[in-house]
Amino acid sequence: MESWLSWSSLFWAATFATVAGLSTVIIFMHALAKSQNSQVPRWRSPNTPIHLLVVLGSGGHTAEMFSMLRRMKLDPSKFTHRTYVVSSGDNFSATKAVEFETTDLSKKLSTDEKPASTGSYSIVTVPRARRVHQSFLTAPFSTIQSFWSCLLVLRGLHPDQQSLKSSPLRSPYPDIILTNGPATAVCVILAARLLRLWFSLCSVFSIGRGAHPSAPASSDFQMRTIFVESWARVKTLSLSGKLLLPLADRFLVQWPGLEGKKAWPSMRETEYVGPLVD
Amino acid sequence: MPSPPPPGAAVKVCFITVGATASFHLLLQSVLEDEFLLALERLDFTHLLVQYGKDGQSLWEAFQSRCPPGSAGRHGLEIDGFDFNQAGLDAEMRLTRASPSEGQTGGLIISHAGSGSILGALRLGVPLVVVPNPTLKDNHQEELAQELQTQGYVVASDYRGIASALDRAEALRTQMLTWPPVRGVSQRRQRTLGDVMSDELGFLD
Repeated sequence: MESWLSWSSLFWAATFATVAGLSTVIIFMHALAKSQNSQVPRWRSPNTPIHLLVVLGSGGHTAEMFSMLRRMKLDPSKFTHRTYVVSSGDNFSATKAVEFETTDLSKKLSTDEKPASTGSYSIVTVPRARRVHQSFLTAPFSTIQSFWSCLLVLRGLHPDQQSLKSSPLRSPYPDIILTNGPATAVCVILAARLLRLWFSLCSVFSIGRGAHPSAPASSDFQMRTIFVESWARVKTLSLSGKLLLPLADRFLVQWPGLEGKKAWPSMRETEYVGPLVD
Repeated sequence: MPSPPPPGAAVKVCFITVGATASFHLLLQSVLEDEFLLALERLDFTHLLVQYGKDGQSLWEAFQSRCPPGSAGRHGLEIDGFDFNQAGLDAEMRLTRASPSEGQTGGLIISHAGSGSILGALRLGVPLVVVPNPTLKDNHQEELAQELQTQGYVVASDYRGIASALDRAEALRTQMLTWPPVRGVSQRRQRTLGDVMSDELGFLD
């Protein structure tokens, strides 16, 4: 009798755990699909200051990112605050960010007839998830450290973000997150999704209602994430791309061979937009 | 840096970059071989500038001692090299552009298949030979080089066929497409990065 009890309870516990686990996965997948297929309502008045967060990577990714920002003629009077996230030790990306801000964005200003403000920018350094030659034993810890740092950046609490406090933005959260593929981007986009999940849970259970009066109806329309697959990727997605396929709100590809890929059937497809680099 | 040209003679520069991050000894060896230097001489090149990378130093020095400046092994070419340039390679790439005021006739660029170097050369409108590095593990460079060749922007070449790629690059010079591509009528519906960002910000019309 005793053994029958223990076997049966073990069976039920296992069944329960499986059902609970599976339904959590299904709910998550459904929520991701729903979020990815949702469109941002037109709620923002045209002259609202915008906070753009750009995640930079190593050499090639960074060069491509600034090439895209140059080609789209990023307007510093519209995107009033720019945050550039670089990995620790990546001086090249930090230098390129300063160069872009001081030459490209101010040049644009001087050619305009009516001078407008170029706003402000900050360059934020986050620790690497895994350094080259770092042991795989310590890698999980450094990944958590890197992830925590990304959360701080999104909440405007990172020590490198002093200039954010003096900007006219009402919220510390970036309005839009743009990236093209380094490992740090996975951390930043995952952190943004978790913050959004947290906000939507808060609004469901009406905790902290009124804490973000400037926020639109749904927290899902903050911290929108755009991933651009590298121009160097013609036929296969990069590892970051594969990881971010279900997570990014928009997934842009620059070659026709990558059009229409999706993480699972109900998800949003990748969009082919042609070369975005100049 | 190539020295100022003697009056009346046009400078024609071939610039080679092997990249800064990964070493590419196979390309470096190929371009320092006699066959390649002969091909350059036949196509009226006057200067060869090589960015040989951090660990290309020993190969470069071996060439210097094998063919010291002024020796017949150089085939009359002015050959220069440097390891890499922290500030980027734009200045070196511009040396290959046709510029009658500076006595430069249009040269060409031979590059590893890194996207930064490819884009730099495409922007200049100088014929470009792209050589994918076969020693890199995840070799999506080959796909990029082939696709760009199919579309008529570059010449893709194996590091062994680099001398014959020079002729194909000379042929490309007369029919090069401009970069960035002009958006045709069929691409008008494609959204630009600015459009996508506006979508996601949800601006009121």
